[in-house]
Amino acid sequence: MKKRILLLLRFVLILATILMMTYSRRGLHLLSPGYLVALLYFISNIVFYFIPEHKFSRPVVTFAIFLIDIIAISLAIYLAQGMQTDFYLIYFLIIFIASVGQDLRGSIPIAVVASFLYGWLLMRTNPGTSIFDSAILIRIPFIFIVSIISSYWSTEIRRELSEKKELENFARRLEQEIAKMAADETDLKSYHDTVINSVASGVIAVSKDGTITTINPEAARVLGASQSSFMDKNIKDIEGLEQMWDKMREVIGSNTPSDRIQISIKNADDETIPIGLSVSPMSSTNATISGCVGILRDLSDIKALEAKLRHAERLSYLGKMASWVAHEIRNPLTAIDGFSQLLAKTRDQDKLKAFSTEIHRGTQRINHIIDDILTFARTKTHIKAVDIHLRGLITQLTENMGNVRIFISGDVDTLIKGEEESLKSLFNNLISNSVDAMDKDPKITIKFYKEDQWLITELADNGKGMSDETVQRLFTPFFTTKSRGTGLGLAIVKKIVDDHGGKLEIESEEGKGTTCRVYLPAVEE
Amino acid sequence: MKKRLLVCDDEEPIRLLLTESLQDIYDIVEASNGKDALSLALREHFDLVIMDIKMPQVHGLEAIERIREKDKRIPIIIISAYRPMEDDIVVKTSNVAAFITKPIDISALRAKIFELIGE
Repeated sequence: MKKRILLLLRFVLILATILMMTYSRRGLHLLSPGYLVALLYFISNIVFYFIPEHKFSRPVVTFAIFLIDIIAISLAIYLAQGMQTDFYLIYFLIIFIASVGQDLRGSIPIAVVASFLYGWLLMRTNPGTSIFDSAILIRIPFIFIVSIISSYWSTEIRRELSEKKELENFARRLEQEIAKMAADETDLKSYHDTVINSVASGVIAVSKDGTITTINPEAARVLGASQSSFMDKNIKDIEGLEQMWDKMREVIGSNTPSDRIQISIKNADDETIPIGLSVSPMSSTNATISGCVGILRDLSDIKALEAKLRHAERLSYLGKMASWVAHEIRNPLTAIDGFSQLLAKTRDQDKLKAFSTEIHRGTQRINHIIDDILTFARTKTHIKAVDIHLRGLITQLTENMGNVRIFISGDVDTLIKGEEESLKSLFNNLISNSVDAMDKDPKITIKFYKEDQWLITELADNGKGMSDETVQRLFTPFFTTKSRGTGLGLAIVKKIVDDHGGKLEIESEEGKGTTCRVYLPAVEE
Repeated sequence: MKKRLLVCDDEEPIRLLLTESLQDIYDIVEASNGKDALSLALREHFDLVIMDIKMPQVHGLEAIERIREKDKRIPIIIISAYRPMEDDIVVKTSNVAAFITKPIDISALRAKIFELIGE
């Protein structure tokens, strides 16, 4: 029971007691013991006012207070000799007050004590009162009935109140939970938005029918318009994004992510932009495909850089090429020029013949250089392929190699598709590289064997080999480790192999030698 | 007695041309690479050396340096398909008497040799 209410009720009780005393036999005198008791009672009420609230909430405290109240009131009635009046009503009042806020366990003992005190008072003031007197037989059960009913109803009301309170609490907690969840969801959404908006790549998500559901600032920038102008639009309706939608439709259809591909789009300003695009399917919670998300990257800067680099490379090649041509041609030119001057002065028939031969060799060499340049410079070559017996051709090339020993073995019959002159140039280059790399006991082992659609020619030498660094730069035009190399040999080899649709493998170990494997397409039997 | 010339070039036609053009006046000894030229120059006496630069084994410039270590005064003429300063070819001018670029003008070469050592 609340302290405030308790004290108020006690106050009512005191007033009622004092009122009763006014009508008692002795009447109300300021100095009568009954009045003093009432006064003390009143003071105690004021003292209670200062006792902290939480102490009153304990049932034992209220119980004790009511116990004291009953005894005090009984004493006051006794001293006032008030049993002749309607004093007993005070008991009902106190029982009622005490029972409100107590359950039966609390109110019954108070009713018992009250009954005893009342019975004792009655016997005391009217000696000889029978236990069957109506004053006892009717009033005491009434005390209990009032106690039980009031405590029952008060318990009921309290229960209802607490249930209501609990319900209210529950509702409030529920509300708080819902508000928190809503806040969390907003947080999560804004977090995801921040992540997507911060990505340096363009992100664009579309639903199955092509409606744009998400687009981040980078994607909008690449596509050349504001984010909001894309939202909820259908990608099919946007001019210039046809290739993107084609890819997305494909991914949605197959439900498998795409590799990164390069496509071009037209932005809002009608500029064509190269972009890298990879698309992944998006699934909803029940695993059905709901759309797809594309990651796109603006490649225009990279493309421009590549073009610049290619241009610089081309210029650098051109410079190196010019220098190489100049050097290679000046030697035979010297011979041609010099011998033609000598021709005019010589009458010796043998010398005339020798000089003219030198002049012829010089022109041939220049012609050969021109062939090399053309082979190297051709961008795309359609070779006139015929059936060639490669083993025969290489056997011919390796005749008269001086002190270099040649061992040829393996497949005898297989023909390949190829162009004879190019193949001669290819193998001449490889063999002369081997010869240049070998010092003592030069030996080249050549093996032929078939694998899948290829005829493989393996050339192994016992030369000085190459470092990994050299191997990596082998096909770079004008890269050479030889003092008299042009740096074009292997570039030409590579070109010829490529033109034939073949493959080339080179393995080398420093100090041990180099092995080249040339894969050329075999003729189907 | 004819004066002796050492001609070093890895191109056989060039050696032949130089020999044919100069042997009426001088004794010509040929070397086909820098290594041979170096060992000849260190072993025998020559009045003049004609040397190509880009050669296998011992590079022409290296051979010239080595010859200079032994002989401070012998005139050396470089014949090259490169021009001086082209493709990083830096020649110490103090080391060489002349730098002649291919194709060689035979009469100019003869005149230069005559100017350097006479007949």
